[in-house]
Amino acid sequence: MESSENGLGLNSNLDRRTLLKGLGVAGLASAPMFNSGMMSAAEAASQTINFTAWEYQPDTIKSLVATWAKKTGNKVNTSFIPNVGYTAGIQARQRGGKPADVFYNFAYNSQKFVSQKWAADLRGLPGADKMVAEMFPSARSRFVAENGAIVSAPYFAAVHMLQYNKKMVAAAGFSSTPNSLQETYDQCKKIKANGVESPYVAYWVKDFVEEYLHVYLLAGNVTPFDKKGDPVFMDDPKTLDVLNWWQAMYKDGMTPKSVLTDDPGKHTTSIANGDAAFYALHHYFLRDIVESKGSASGDIAQAKIVGTGGKTLQMGEVIQLGGKVTGAKKAAAWDFMKTYGYKDASGQFTTFQKWAASGALCAPYPGFFTDPKVIAAFPKYMDLTLIADTFKSASDVVPARTLPWYQGFQAQCGTIIHDLLLGNSNARATANALAIACKTAKSGSGL
Amino acid sequence: MLLAIPALLTVFQSLFVVPADGIGIGEFTKIDNYLFLFKNEIFWATCLRSIWFALIFIVGSTVIGLAAALLLNEKFVGRMVLRGLLVLPWACPWLIVGIIWKWFLDGNIGLFNGVLIRLHLISHYKDFLSDPKWALWMTALAAIWRQSCLVALLLLAGLQTLPRDIWDAASVDGAGIIQRFRHITLPWLRPALTVVTVLNVIYGLMQFDVIFAMTQGGPGSATTLLSFLIYRQFFIFTNFGIGSALAVALAFIALIGGLIAVKTLYRKIEV
Repeated sequence: MESSENGLGLNSNLDRRTLLKGLGVAGLASAPMFNSGMMSAAEAASQTINFTAWEYQPDTIKSLVATWAKKTGNKVNTSFIPNVGYTAGIQARQRGGKPADVFYNFAYNSQKFVSQKWAADLRGLPGADKMVAEMFPSARSRFVAENGAIVSAPYFAAVHMLQYNKKMVAAAGFSSTPNSLQETYDQCKKIKANGVESPYVAYWVKDFVEEYLHVYLLAGNVTPFDKKGDPVFMDDPKTLDVLNWWQAMYKDGMTPKSVLTDDPGKHTTSIANGDAAFYALHHYFLRDIVESKGSASGDIAQAKIVGTGGKTLQMGEVIQLGGKVTGAKKAAAWDFMKTYGYKDASGQFTTFQKWAASGALCAPYPGFFTDPKVIAAFPKYMDLTLIADTFKSASDVVPARTLPWYQGFQAQCGTIIHDLLLGNSNARATANALAIACKTAKSGSGL
Repeated sequence: MLLAIPALLTVFQSLFVVPADGIGIGEFTKIDNYLFLFKNEIFWATCLRSIWFALIFIVGSTVIGLAAALLLNEKFVGRMVLRGLLVLPWACPWLIVGIIWKWFLDGNIGLFNGVLIRLHLISHYKDFLSDPKWALWMTALAAIWRQSCLVALLLLAGLQTLPRDIWDAASVDGAGIIQRFRHITLPWLRPALTVVTVLNVIYGLMQFDVIFAMTQGGPGSATTLLSFLIYRQFFIFTNFGIGSALAVALAFIALIGGLIAVKTLYRKIEV
């Protein structure tokens, strides 16, 4: 398996290259830097930090916050914004003059927030370089911008995987899961003929389908964007194959018609009860499938989206440091953020160990996957080695996805892809429409 | 002041390129933001879709609400319980209504399909929300379900002020139920109906939460309304100038709709 393009050295830009070359030096220098960081944290004790998060496992968040606050003597005011409307909520707080000191954010907003000065560039903060240096090379460009700015720390990371029903695949005469998109179609067709009406489910709703655009382009060996963040997918003939495949999957009934509006809960129930053979989504959804204890839950395993073929999408959301935090408060906020998105003062992945246990969430650090506490905490039915390997060498973050204009593209993707699936458009027109959507998103003239 | 200042600020912002960081007001662009919208076919298609949605919503919630009010104004066993139940959908936040209806309309297990099959209106389960021909109607139906309860409550209050002797006198004079409804009840309810319709115009055009929960504006753009474009401009494109221009356009459409409702419905009570 070839290395991730980001793993080849992130050599697209001098600033980023300089930064990442410097990370080796940063590693050597990390001991004194950490000492200085700890000193800053000590000096910063008894600060009050305003932390904003969305409501995923609020009790876990509260416990993580309380542990850090107790250890450092600082206070954290945690406020939650519902997942639905988080983007609007966090932006309204920024514009309204009540910005958080540390906050969750969607990765696609991260560079936009730094460019608006709502979030800080983490360069120069003690341990920031080491944090980036310890990441999978394939993950770094989600956190490091083209100009070298470190825009965020990880909240969690995940890879798109294929959850599949072992018995159904075997009963259809296949010895392995699909190794290409075409094989995915062929296996679905056979399984459908065996009586499973809609063998394939995925979260293709309007606001989420952009992730699948990358999942399938990467699976089809298409590079979606170049290193400058310009779209190149439309010039690759393989893009048309991918889009034609996608349309056929829907049109030929490999998915339920309702897949355009169904949510993950329904898909989980569907595959757990033996009504579907494949479910493509983030790796941690296997946990829901198994723990829902459906009639087929025990038959579900996990594989790469296309076994020996292309890559898959590595995704994850981030935490950012407020752009207006200064002085001792900034030191305390950064110490909190490091504990939350990297390691605690004793060098442990405390936060990620907890997320691994409660949600099977991952962190984009190789060290996370070899941490004995993570291994112990991770559900036994999940193949941590497979997931680690996918992070390491079979996934791509698509760096363009964090650029300031990107959310404008993401917002337009849903309509364009749905039109393709509904048969209102063909592959060529869709590729062109997506390219135009990139252009309008960049110029801010999209509607 | 609470209404006027944000409204004026929105009109003001619609004439500028507003910096996304919220600091300062940016470059004055005269009416460029409006010209951008008027030249954009997505804007016009979305306007038409929003008006169509609002019309379904206004007619549906008014008719169903009126029917419910008339029914609950009659004496029968369990009337008080039913009147109490009327408050429940109205007490549900719009977003929750959307989530409930998404499950209700589900193409595999939804109760709605079960009812239609029992009534022999369809032969097999159908996923209405993923069908662009049905999605707008179904999201409107969900919104109507909640709003018609408010309409029923308001009209029921109006009906209870109707003097019974007028109704009885008409009966004695030989007026049938339809004639009494047309010449006594409806004129009596005109002021309440005017208020209800104006409210429905506003709720219908501003609808966002129900659709967001049910379809996110999809499939394709089948349920994308002006409120979605405003949300996108403000929080995704961070383009406050165009977002404000869209908001002004929506307010203008609502104003026209409200005026039409008042002109059509409001007359002095002449019973």
